[in-house]
Amino acid sequence: MSASASALTAERSRIEVAVSNMANAESTRGVNGQPYRRRDVVLASNPVESFDDAMGRTGAVGVKVADIVEDRAPFARRYDPAHPDADAEGFVSMPNVDVPGQMVDMLSATRAYQANLTAIGLIKDLISRAMELGK
Amino acid sequence: MNDIITDRSIMSALGRQLTVAVAKQSVAASNLANLDTPNYRTRDVSFDEALNQVLPGGEKLAVTQRGHLTGQPAVPSGELEDAEGLATRRDGNNVQLDRELLHMTRAAGDFTAAQTALSAKFRLVRYAINESK
Repeated sequence: MSASASALTAERSRIEVAVSNMANAESTRGVNGQPYRRRDVVLASNPVESFDDAMGRTGAVGVKVADIVEDRAPFARRYDPAHPDADAEGFVSMPNVDVPGQMVDMLSATRAYQANLTAIGLIKDLISRAMELGK
Repeated sequence: MNDIITDRSIMSALGRQLTVAVAKQSVAASNLANLDTPNYRTRDVSFDEALNQVLPGGEKLAVTQRGHLTGQPAVPSGELEDAEGLATRRDGNNVQLDRELLHMTRAAGDFTAAQTALSAKFRLVRYAINESK
């Protein structure tokens, strides 16, 4: 169950990162004065410490957010001389966020979130059935 | 006579089925959790092979009549292995959502079946304890 719970956390941070990418799809001034760079979540599997694990039996493997990295892809350049951030040639560097791509990422994170919720429901069912044995 | 009610070998077999179902459930949940982890390989737990290794040889109870159960050793520990024959995606991950959900549902069904049978057994014992009341 803790494996599925860790997946819920990881998928939620994927959704949050995708949302912040979309929110900043037009931000030409980031924290360092540069246009915003697309962020990406790096997932890594993470063994859950459990009783089974300590007994040397098959332990569950959860997942964790190993890192959040910035996409180093070049910025898109848009011709807009009236923009305050335009360079000498009249081009503005726009963030390297591809909005449809972020939507797809968000959808797949949502699906994974739902799948893990279903898994938790099934495990919960199992536990409550085991409790019924004592009745 | 009390063999019929407490039927130890059947009870322990049902108990094992519960353990196996939980182990399968936990492996499928791990696979689901790592649905998007790069280079993660789908894991499978197989008890059938462990059982086959145990069945032909191994310690058995003496049988004096046909139909007697020989009993089985303790819970076979499941073998964790990488599942084969699954399409790998570009990020090196081969977890398939529907396959894992199917496995989870199947394990939940196995668990429910064993649990129902076990609680029927327990009910029988309780019935005897309560003098058929």
